[in-house]
Amino acid sequence: MDKLEHYLDQVCRYVGGPRSLREHLREELRGHLLDAAARYRAAGMPEEEALDRALADFGGPEEVRSGLEATHGHRLLPVVIDKAMQWKERTMRAKWLWASWAYLAVGLVLVLEVLFILFNVVYLVPKYQKLRYDGLIDPAMDEEQGVAWMARFLHGLDAVAGHLGAWAVIVPAVAWGLFEWRVKSENKPLIRLAALGTAAVALMVVVVLTAGSQIVSFYLGAPAAGRMVRPFAVEQAGAIDAAVNGIEQAVARKDWADAGKHADQASAALNQLSSGPALASLAPGNQPMPTGELRSHLRAASDALPEVRQAIRDRDAGRLEAALKEFSKAYGPVREVAKRPAR
Amino acid sequence: MDTELLKGTLSLLILSLLSRKSMYGYEIAATVHRDTDGAFTWREGSLYPSLHKLEADGLIVGEWEEKETGRKRRYYRLTKKGRAALEEKVQSWGELCRAVNSILEKSDGQA
Repeated sequence: MDKLEHYLDQVCRYVGGPRSLREHLREELRGHLLDAAARYRAAGMPEEEALDRALADFGGPEEVRSGLEATHGHRLLPVVIDKAMQWKERTMRAKWLWASWAYLAVGLVLVLEVLFILFNVVYLVPKYQKLRYDGLIDPAMDEEQGVAWMARFLHGLDAVAGHLGAWAVIVPAVAWGLFEWRVKSENKPLIRLAALGTAAVALMVVVVLTAGSQIVSFYLGAPAAGRMVRPFAVEQAGAIDAAVNGIEQAVARKDWADAGKHADQASAALNQLSSGPALASLAPGNQPMPTGELRSHLRAASDALPEVRQAIRDRDAGRLEAALKEFSKAYGPVREVAKRPAR
Repeated sequence: MDTELLKGTLSLLILSLLSRKSMYGYEIAATVHRDTDGAFTWREGSLYPSLHKLEADGLIVGEWEEKETGRKRRYYRLTKKGRAALEEKVQSWGELCRAVNSILEKSDGQA
């Protein structure tokens, strides 16, 4: 009877109209086929053969269905679902598709890893070595436990790529050739995939170590750059003090032109101190005064300087004294920080 | 017998059979088989699209009935519109037969 129900499924499932129509149609066709099979059984035919004969007399399911669809229309959804199920069945069985996908994915990972390592070896690691050579990344890190190996690793990677780069291509190529030539196992495709996956994992380790070594070394070694800036910042602070003294002495001599030159020097030194990391280097770790607060003092000093220059141009000693007092008041905290010893 | 010829006359046969009495699908097929001594070698499944088309056109009407065997069957009967259509089709069939026979008679012995 499964054969009968399957046949009725094929005929009725796609016929359009309400569900009750399909149910009645199914019942009607089932009755006809059971009557026809009963007639053959009555003539002495075995049950299964009688049903086969009745189905054959009735005609192919597509033929009957298309005739019924011409009257009642057809249902789109079951057609779409059946097509999707057929596609799924074909796809799930398509071993070549999944194997190709796996090879493609592993191959892509390998290519990206090799490109990343090449980019590092050719471009980034030399720049990193230059920064170390210039002392911008603290050389003292070579002595730090747990970090020293990173510099050695990058140095080793550079050396391997420089001197053994050809071998890094030849050895895997020969190994692969030998594998394809000698290995005859029925699991060969799986072994190949496993080998490629292992290579991808190994290269991933190299990628992580390469990137990690550079990032960690840079973060830990970068404060050395700040220490190199501090002397420059202290020098600029000293230049500002010298310029202010120069203005006071020039005014005492009534040499307004010299006072103007010193005011220009003070302005230039203020600009140098306020740009880049110079000001921040005076307060490493934002202590004892936060960098933002230092910067606002420096800005107030810069704002006071035009009044100093105007008083010099006007040759107004009283006004100049008041302007210099205002400037010194704003600049004082910066001067104090610059005079403290570096930590 | 050529099934292509049968296709064009199936609705006429159905209407004609139903003019005798109400019948269900298998009964129509069995009657055609019996009355023609099995001359029509057709697929019985093709009967149902024709029945449903005739019903959709209002020429016949189908009703579920349960008779002595205990099995429910869909019996079809002719409507008034179907009876008029049958008369028209019978007349057309007669004219067609006469015309075709006339050609065949005049061509007799020349094949």
